Amino acid sequence: MWTTAQRDRLGIEHQILQREGFSQFSVWYERKDDTYYASGVATSNSGRRYSLYIPIPSGYPTQRPPLYITDPCPLYTADGKTISSLGISHSMHTLSPLGDMVQICHWRDNRWHSGIVLQKVFLKAHLWIEAYEQHLATGRPLAEFVRTMAEVA
Amino acid sequence: MSTNDPVQRQMIREAMQAIAERKPGRSKLVYDKTKRTIVAVAEGSQTPQALNITADDADMFGVITLSSDWLRKNWPQLKSQGALPLTFSSWDDGDALTQLELCIQPSAATARGTLSLDRDTKSGSSGTVIVLQKIQGGASNLDRFLAPDGELYRATVSVEAGQATPSADVVFADVEPQLELRRAGILESTKLKDKTVLCIGLGTGGAHIAVELAKCGVGRFLLVDRDRLSVGNVVRHPGGISQVGRSKVNVVRDLILEKNPGAQVEVRAIELEYGNKDAIGDLVRASDLVVCGTDNRPSKLLINELCVAANVPALYGGAFRRAYGGQILRVRPKQSPCHQCFVAAMPDEAADVEVSSESDASEIAYSDRPVAVEPGLSLDVLPIANMIAKIALVELVADKSSTLNTLRKDFDAPWYLWLNRPEPGTQYASLPPLSESSDEMTINRWYGIYFDRDAACPVCGDFVSILASSYGLDPALLPALPAKE
Repeated sequence: MWTTAQRDRLGIEHQILQREGFSQFSVWYERKDDTYYASGVATSNSGRRYSLYIPIPSGYPTQRPPLYITDPCPLYTADGKTISSLGISHSMHTLSPLGDMVQICHWRDNRWHSGIVLQKVFLKAHLWIEAYEQHLATGRPLAEFVRTMAEVA
Repeated sequence: MSTNDPVQRQMIREAMQAIAERKPGRSKLVYDKTKRTIVAVAEGSQTPQALNITADDADMFGVITLSSDWLRKNWPQLKSQGALPLTFSSWDDGDALTQLELCIQPSAATARGTLSLDRDTKSGSSGTVIVLQKIQGGASNLDRFLAPDGELYRATVSVEAGQATPSADVVFADVEPQLELRRAGILESTKLKDKTVLCIGLGTGGAHIAVELAKCGVGRFLLVDRDRLSVGNVVRHPGGISQVGRSKVNVVRDLILEKNPGAQVEVRAIELEYGNKDAIGDLVRASDLVVCGTDNRPSKLLINELCVAANVPALYGGAFRRAYGGQILRVRPKQSPCHQCFVAAMPDEAADVEVSSESDASEIAYSDRPVAVEPGLSLDVLPIANMIAKIALVELVADKSSTLNTLRKDFDAPWYLWLNRPEPGTQYASLPPLSESSDEMTINRWYGIYFDRDAACPVCGDFVSILASSYGLDPALLPALPAKE
């Protein structure tokens, strides 16, 4: 199922994560079903911890990988709704959830390309988490805090 | 006829019959400018104040069109049985009868007929009776049929009792030679006959490109699109209102066959997604050229990956929003920048797409912030589609000697830009008027733009090695990934 180029790419991406200050994240190989995923725990400035999970799609890197927050789950908005109930939301910068797990909009499909590495995806997740905590603190839409997220690409 | 002159009446009758039979008679019709009416005069007489009336002027007869190909295939049967039944598409209240074997999209009304060889068969025949009569050799013409036995035949409609002249002319459609004759010259259609083009995305532009390539003589098409033709599409799409509800692949297949009946067309009404990657990859590998007319990046990048892997050239075209302009990217794998190189080098240009459907809008919108569907005009999409078709032709004959090869220098750039109008809010809003500019960028001109391949492109370059070396890593010596059982 996986090409040598895909396996080599994921191997390099794991090393970049380890060497570039993202060692809390790893690329994992799931031997029993021959799948890959990337995961780890992001810690916000306030010290809260968020478990992040990226199942690597079979078309990676041409195909955009989704990024879910698996813990805390569910995540709530400032006014107490589950973020997953908002679905694809501009105000919260989310895409289709997986059950109650929030899918962060790190790159839209129409902006993703295979030159983007997982390190940048995790970086965007960090930014989303900081914006989320600002949303919780102020009640203002998360989108107000990540208006310039595209610029980090 | 208002004249009471019996001689004049007889002459007019004879002249009209001669016109109907397309052969000279004893008298001819002229329009007498002084009398301001039509009169009959003796054939050969000089009538300086009159205009001659010919069969072309007086063509008031219907036309029956027979398929030469069908007739050749059924010739032995016709010879042995003496007559064969015919079915026609009947157009315009029977004014034109077209043999059903020629019709890709038949008319709603049909008519029956009988084709008889050399004899005026009435018994057992139904509908219009057409008689094939052997004639002596002469110049090839649409009203003659060269039979497999080498004899030349002309067909006429059997004249009913009391009928002065036949009700229709009979012509033969020898489709392939007649179409190739029209293409011959600048286009070596035989060189395109063995070429296969994969057309992905059959919206307004994609459908137009496919049909134009069919007109040029491309012999084989593979068509991919999952959508059906909707009422809203009809205002731009080559498919018409009577096709609404049909799969676009089938609509376009029929449009191709209407223009090039000899073409082979395979259709796949499938989604362009990663789940269908293997099936689409098979189509790419079976093609000489891929034309990608989809309007979303994931599908273009998937096609790009497959085309580069299969070393098949591809053309990516699309209109900008509201079709204020458009662009074309031509990819010759490993020789010119691929689509991934393009989106990495020019992300904004690559993301400027026309939002022509709800589906397109959902691709780029959040559910709480919809994007308006704002399709452009067909006439603004077609210049881009025409240019793609032209570049496609140049690519298809690239390995052959062709008059079109003179265009290779003109179409050397990988990226082409076209502007239909100076769209407010874009970098092109202040373009000088067309009439005032000689060197500056204006609307309605094509611009070929050069940019380089990305050596570190993940698709056509060596991304992994270059990325690894930038981190001081040797890809060959990487430790295994952590694994979970």
